[in-house]
Amino acid sequence: MKTVLRLFTALALVAVLFIAGLIWIPVSRTPASEALPADWAPEPGAGEYAMRAGDCMACHTAEGGADFAGGRAIHSPLGTIYTANITPDPETGIGGWTLDQFRAALVDGLSADGSHLYPAMPYENYRLLTEGDIRALHTYFMEEVQPVRIDVPEPDLPFPFNQRWGIRALNWLILTHDSGFNGIMGDKVLDRGQYLVEGPGHCAACHSPRTAYMGQDGITADQPAFLTGGYIDGQQAPALRGPGSVIRDWPTPELTAFLATGRNFAATANGEMGLVVEHSLQYLTDADIIAMARFLKALDGQPHDPPEMTVPRGPLARPAAQADARGEATARMLTESSPDMPLGARVFMDNCAQCHFVTGRGSPEIFPALQDNSLVLSDEITPLVSIILWGATVEGTAQRPMPLVMQGYEARLSDDDIAALTSFLREAWGNDAAPVSPEAVRDIRDDGPPEARQDDGALMD
Amino acid sequence: MTAPPQNPKPHFPLSHPGRRQFLRVSAASFAAAGLWPSTVAAQDMPPLKDYPRAWLTENEWVFVLAAVARLIPSDGEGPGAIEARVPVFIDRELAGDFGAATDWYMEGPHQPDAPPELGWQSPLSPADIYRAAIPLFDEWCVSRHGTAFADLDAAMQDEALTALEGGDVPLPPELRDFFDILLTNTKEGYFSDPIHGGNHGMAAWVHIGFPGARAHYREWVGRHNIPYPLGPVSISGERA
Amino acid sequence: MARQDPKKEVVIVGLGWTGAIMGMELAEEGLEILALERGPDRRTVPEMKYPEMIDELSQGERHKMMQRPSQSTITIRRDLHETALPMRKWGSFLLGNGVGGSGVHWNGQNWRPQPVEMGLRSYVTDRWGAAIIPEDMTIGDYPVTYDNLEPFFDRFEYVAGISGIAGNLNGEIREGGNPFEGWRSRDYPMPALPVTYNGAKFAEAARAMGYHPFPRPGGNASTSYVNEYGMQMGACNFCGFCERYGCYQYSKSSPQTTILAALFRKPNFSYRTGAEVLRVEMAADGLTATGVTYFDEDTGEEVFQPADIVILAAYQIENVRLMLISGIGQPYDPATGKGVTGKNYGYQITGSTSMFFRDEHFNPFVGSGINGVCIDDFGMNAIDFGAEGFIGGAYISSAQTNGQPIRSMPLPENTPEWGAGWKSAIAEWYGHEMSISHHASVMSYRGHYCDLDPTYRDRHGRPLMRITFDWHPNELRLNAFLQEKIEALARTMQPDLMKSSYKDFDSRYDVRPYQTTHNTGGAIMSQTPEGGPLNRYLQAWDKHNVFVTGAGAFVQNTQYNPTGLVGGLAYWAADAIRRQYLRNPGPLV
Repeated sequence: MKTVLRLFTALALVAVLFIAGLIWIPVSRTPASEALPADWAPEPGAGEYAMRAGDCMACHTAEGGADFAGGRAIHSPLGTIYTANITPDPETGIGGWTLDQFRAALVDGLSADGSHLYPAMPYENYRLLTEGDIRALHTYFMEEVQPVRIDVPEPDLPFPFNQRWGIRALNWLILTHDSGFNGIMGDKVLDRGQYLVEGPGHCAACHSPRTAYMGQDGITADQPAFLTGGYIDGQQAPALRGPGSVIRDWPTPELTAFLATGRNFAATANGEMGLVVEHSLQYLTDADIIAMARFLKALDGQPHDPPEMTVPRGPLARPAAQADARGEATARMLTESSPDMPLGARVFMDNCAQCHFVTGRGSPEIFPALQDNSLVLSDEITPLVSIILWGATVEGTAQRPMPLVMQGYEARLSDDDIAALTSFLREAWGNDAAPVSPEAVRDIRDDGPPEARQDDGALMD
Repeated sequence: MTAPPQNPKPHFPLSHPGRRQFLRVSAASFAAAGLWPSTVAAQDMPPLKDYPRAWLTENEWVFVLAAVARLIPSDGEGPGAIEARVPVFIDRELAGDFGAATDWYMEGPHQPDAPPELGWQSPLSPADIYRAAIPLFDEWCVSRHGTAFADLDAAMQDEALTALEGGDVPLPPELRDFFDILLTNTKEGYFSDPIHGGNHGMAAWVHIGFPGARAHYREWVGRHNIPYPLGPVSISGERA
Repeated sequence: MARQDPKKEVVIVGLGWTGAIMGMELAEEGLEILALERGPDRRTVPEMKYPEMIDELSQGERHKMMQRPSQSTITIRRDLHETALPMRKWGSFLLGNGVGGSGVHWNGQNWRPQPVEMGLRSYVTDRWGAAIIPEDMTIGDYPVTYDNLEPFFDRFEYVAGISGIAGNLNGEIREGGNPFEGWRSRDYPMPALPVTYNGAKFAEAARAMGYHPFPRPGGNASTSYVNEYGMQMGACNFCGFCERYGCYQYSKSSPQTTILAALFRKPNFSYRTGAEVLRVEMAADGLTATGVTYFDEDTGEEVFQPADIVILAAYQIENVRLMLISGIGQPYDPATGKGVTGKNYGYQITGSTSMFFRDEHFNPFVGSGINGVCIDDFGMNAIDFGAEGFIGGAYISSAQTNGQPIRSMPLPENTPEWGAGWKSAIAEWYGHEMSISHHASVMSYRGHYCDLDPTYRDRHGRPLMRITFDWHPNELRLNAFLQEKIEALARTMQPDLMKSSYKDFDSRYDVRPYQTTHNTGGAIMSQTPEGGPLNRYLQAWDKHNVFVTGAGAFVQNTQYNPTGLVGGLAYWAADAIRRQYLRNPGPLV
């Protein structure tokens, strides 16, 4: 017994020393990945463009708040944190941060005072930014963004998750890769696509799986799990490569259209992906969108010929698809419109077929297909049920200005109706996913709609 | 295609489990949101005699019950105006914007005896016309047949309504459209969505084969000369 | 004056089809533009969303999408001696309200006029001599030809997303289209929609009689559509709730689906709702407008909005009223024929035959706004006016737009209006009827015009507009001619029962039943300042910085639904402003 006690005491001492080390040993900042000439200055507009590519605005702007003034709630199973004010206000923002301090935030997850940022900030990915983009961003945030004095709320996390030294331990585990970009595609355009996807685009933050200690499993393109699918905020972020890839069947022009406008022949971007399109991707040049799409295709070993244009220009008439062989039985049953059809089919006919049609294939660019729809088939049913209850919006973009809005059916459909409907959707047109129970629907309904319009939205394809 | 396991019933009458509460909740929430007039679940509706009237007086209510029962009688196939709860619809319409002619141009001067092709020229709103015309029509019934309209037998009621329709009941010109309004409102209450108080259980839609608020028939455009089989859905989601 | 707002380069009155078109065209020139819309904002969601929009009582019967007569209405008399009385509730026509205007609640039926309709007076005179034109008929030539307008019709059709099949492609007549139409430089942007059973039956009967059936062209998308602005439509689902309703499904051509979201992204364009323009203000010299005064519903105050260019893009009725109130053009006087503003009010004449087939199923609720098959074999360019004794034409069609039971319950002759007989008849006949109808031209006449009512006023104390209009023997003869043709065709289809509804030679204009919202004239375009208040570019002759869009410019009404010509003229005028007026502001003619 005494031996055991001594062992515990020793272990506790080690743990205390370890934690003390985590707390008091000074952190070090990773140096610049590349030495730029002393007189180097970003091209006009380069900083804003890098900000768009890095999608800083989506997270660092609260619903209805000033640009970059932070305060947007990020929910986690452990509690809520609020994004930082990254305007150049010296008191409450990042005013006066040196380039080294700013770079450390992006590549080491360190604040100017050496404290650790919560890993909701994707510094694992921003670690891959080029020194040129980092300096352009620094110039932009210091000189072009309007300072806003506003204190963001303290995080609402229980002990020990409110102790930032814990993050230091985490960083020892996850920040093992070099900073800066290393192109591996052997082609200038594909390398550019790789850079945008890996670094500023931080696609892996959602679309790669997570390791046991919550780091990204697959941060760079040479890692096998890179973009093989992940979860974000209770939503499935579908795989972008491999046999389960949602984009494998998309021709490259459909992928570029999706990235630039949030809509294509079969899918619309909602929720987190909708925000990415709204705040980031729609502002990228055609060349960059094409580079990203071609890289994703090449990474998956698919043909990746450059499309003629990023987004097809109107006038453009595209017929709604007919049911295919897998969907034909469902389409025929719905077309016959027999009063004896199952409840789920009937709910579909009374609420959904208006736009998604009995073919389950919708109408290109406007009404997404439900057949093979990753959101419909996902193990995570919350996004699907949430959209049925409270609707979804695909914001307009420069090339497709019209917001596409689906209304919610919270008032019109009971839990039984929605359970029958979702179960139907998951087995119709050749879809194959488990049924949904009324209790599961009730729980989602009881949790209430997303607080912010798209906080808990979902990728809908 | 088989029914999802949690919903084994192939049919879903209005008493489908869970619907009752849903309808009650949804009606309340729609009303709270001001999206459409408040309504109550079809099967929870009080009998007409207990319906809490919003506009019509007791005498007027008795008249409307009797009149609509002749305009769309209960016998034969399909619902009559009573089963469709048309009187509830009429009461609610008269209590609202329609009854008060809120949306209409009602400035004077008025020429209620103008040629009918020049349209509505009465200074009275529809609700005021009901209020003024019902006693005059009842008086005419008393003078002609010895009793108010509601107490006449069905054949006499039909005769009285025919006289009213034909302009044979002397009414001042500002009331001359009374029969038209009454008949129009009766048909509106019979055929409009149940959220407005009539067309109870969508029975009038079932009677003629109108699918209600389904509002999509793309795959039926080319299905020529085939009767459409699926029953109606209402705005609040009732199925029949 | 309670308030004066900062000056804009352009102020647009009304944000419907032509306000949106003008806004976009002039925004692309970089001008600072403000559009003032009297009604509320309207978007697909939430204002038109499913299922609330699918409510026949609220929309079909109570007209909740429309202008409220309590806001403003018109007065009507049938001749100069009758006392005009207000249209206290809507009947014969339905005026839109709010963003999108009548482009929200229309059916989408979209046509071009025939070339001969644009030069009608010359066409009639050249063929039959001026003597066949009745003494009181004031038809003219439009001061712009079909060929002038062709690129602009085309532009509108491609922006608005029109489905159809070309019958005359650069002069080549094509199978399946309308062989009587004017030439078009390319096909419609989308193929024609399929047709319901009634259309197929009608087409077969028409073909058997040697006629040339074709699917009706219009703004209900047959496919997904993306226009030049990246604006989108979804394929129409035949919901059967088109006219009087906003489209919940993004499939009806409207400013909302084809222009507005793109326009709203322009930093130099803005708009206000709840802003009812009361009058156009004039410079001291009377040669130009200085802006408009509007009533701001939010603050309850009058606001002067200065502007370099004023575009009146409201509906025909409100445009003409604003011109009369503001002194744009001399008011027309029917006694002398002098004056220009208010002249040549026109409308449309219609009639139809119902056919009942006891054992056939039409599923009337399967409908779209344009669904139907037409023939143009009795169109303006196909009739011998000299032989028939009238001037005019029509297209004949079998439509199936809706089966909404309150308003769409055709029953055989002698069916009781109520009682047991009515109740059994509705079950017996609903879904067993189809109809053939005509949609015919109405010429201009000396006594048919618009002026300010001497008695009735709106809530701001402004006089209502007074319309003097009645059926003229010329149109009643045309109507009788068409009735005979339709009934002959209908009889070949051997229905169990038939019922015709046409005006007879004693018919007078009846404001109660809905007919068409195709009010035209009053602000007509003309070769000379004496002929009408607008020149060929829709520019006011006497106020060069005032442009007036819409069907008010029609010299006489055509045989078609007006939107195609309204849209084409708007693009034509916008082109003149962009190419000529902005460089050198002044009279364009």
